[in-house]
Amino acid sequence: MSDSYYLFKGCLIPTRVPNLEKASLIVLDAMGVDHRPLPGATCCVEPIGLRSMAADTWLVTVARMLAIAETEGRDVLTLCNGCYLSFQEACHALQDPALLEKVNLVLSSLGREYRGGVKVRHLLDLAHEKGEEGVKSHVRRDLSAFKVAPHSGCHVLRPSKAGLRERAYAPRMLGDVARWLGSTVVSEEGWPECCGGGVASIDDGVSTGMLEDVCSVYRRSGATCILTPCPFCFSQFDLRQKGGLPVLHLSELMALAFGATPEEIGLRYHRTKLGPISGSP
Amino acid sequence: MWQRLTEGVRIESIGTETNLPDPLGELARCHQCGQCAGVCPSQKHGGIKPADTMVKLHLSLLQPNAPELWLCAMCNSCTERCQLGVSPSDRIQEMRGRATLAGHCPKSFQEEAKLFMRTGLAFPNSGLTKKLRKELDLDELASDAQTLNELAALVKATTLGRVPLER
Repeated sequence: MSDSYYLFKGCLIPTRVPNLEKASLIVLDAMGVDHRPLPGATCCVEPIGLRSMAADTWLVTVARMLAIAETEGRDVLTLCNGCYLSFQEACHALQDPALLEKVNLVLSSLGREYRGGVKVRHLLDLAHEKGEEGVKSHVRRDLSAFKVAPHSGCHVLRPSKAGLRERAYAPRMLGDVARWLGSTVVSEEGWPECCGGGVASIDDGVSTGMLEDVCSVYRRSGATCILTPCPFCFSQFDLRQKGGLPVLHLSELMALAFGATPEEIGLRYHRTKLGPISGSP
Repeated sequence: MWQRLTEGVRIESIGTETNLPDPLGELARCHQCGQCAGVCPSQKHGGIKPADTMVKLHLSLLQPNAPELWLCAMCNSCTERCQLGVSPSDRIQEMRGRATLAGHCPKSFQEEAKLFMRTGLAFPNSGLTKKLRKELDLDELASDAQTLNELAALVKATTLGRVPLER
């Protein structure tokens, strides 16, 4: 596996929550990760709506980007659960030589070919792979006042048949990283719950019901904020939640721990404010 | 349960155009244990019922215009939970594809598809996006012509190019 990455920012982060992009860039630079933007990037054909509409369009769209990454010998790094699953399931599916041949037939019309040599990572497993010492060595700020409820989000751990790095039951990566960063983890995920974001544009009642199911557990845990590696879950928690429990994307907690200021990473753009613990009003 | 689901349904409807190809034999393998129903967060709130959906698919009783198809959040809990290796969320995704081609895709996803084909992104690069990126000292988002041309060629060669979209 290479140590240099093409950073795939996705759609939601750069357009709606670019503050998460800012935090991620600070974090990657602080950890000395070699990264540059994936050239010719498009949407990953997200796994909820678009991919449902046309599965073959998903596969060739991701394969095109994998082919681009492969020419430079870089792996793909994502900041979003949806992007991660979209890429990872495509990588997994394209291990089938017959399917790869079909996809390459389409890609050949663009003068491109994918040979199956790219790996996809999520910021979560990249951080976890650094290990306790690796993460702690970058910490510049005491975050013990942050009582976090980890929420991994579905697409970083299900379906396990796609060869995802996190396990589907009792995930541990997010809680581990949060502890290594110095925050206080106040709840553990058993069977990870869904935030309801996937039906937010279809049925408000179903989506809100799912959101409240998961948030009520986090509120009872005594958490001062939810922590998630997924920008879709982040947006669902920040914009649609009724109970007012603030949320941080993993990149934000890492950036704060590594010494970035709340102003620098745009914490002011959160709808549900973090208040005094973040060091900003 | 079998009787309840098939009540009032004429037997001739089995094996009609709603039949879903089942190369993995998953529809027959599902024995309605209900584990998927137990973990489905949507079912709890009146959304999709994965076990019911599986039996309807097996009997070819699920119509492409069934609204519940789109009440699945694609959380993949059902697929993860199934002890028989059946993947209800994959089957639901396949049925959504068929529904889409039959003109039954929700408006919000259609709009997303149109934006994707036009700009390469699933969310708009709006005035607010530009303002936020400037304030955060991030570069402006831009998609180049070659990328959009390649995307158009891929869409044309695949199913999305054949999807009926409302104006």
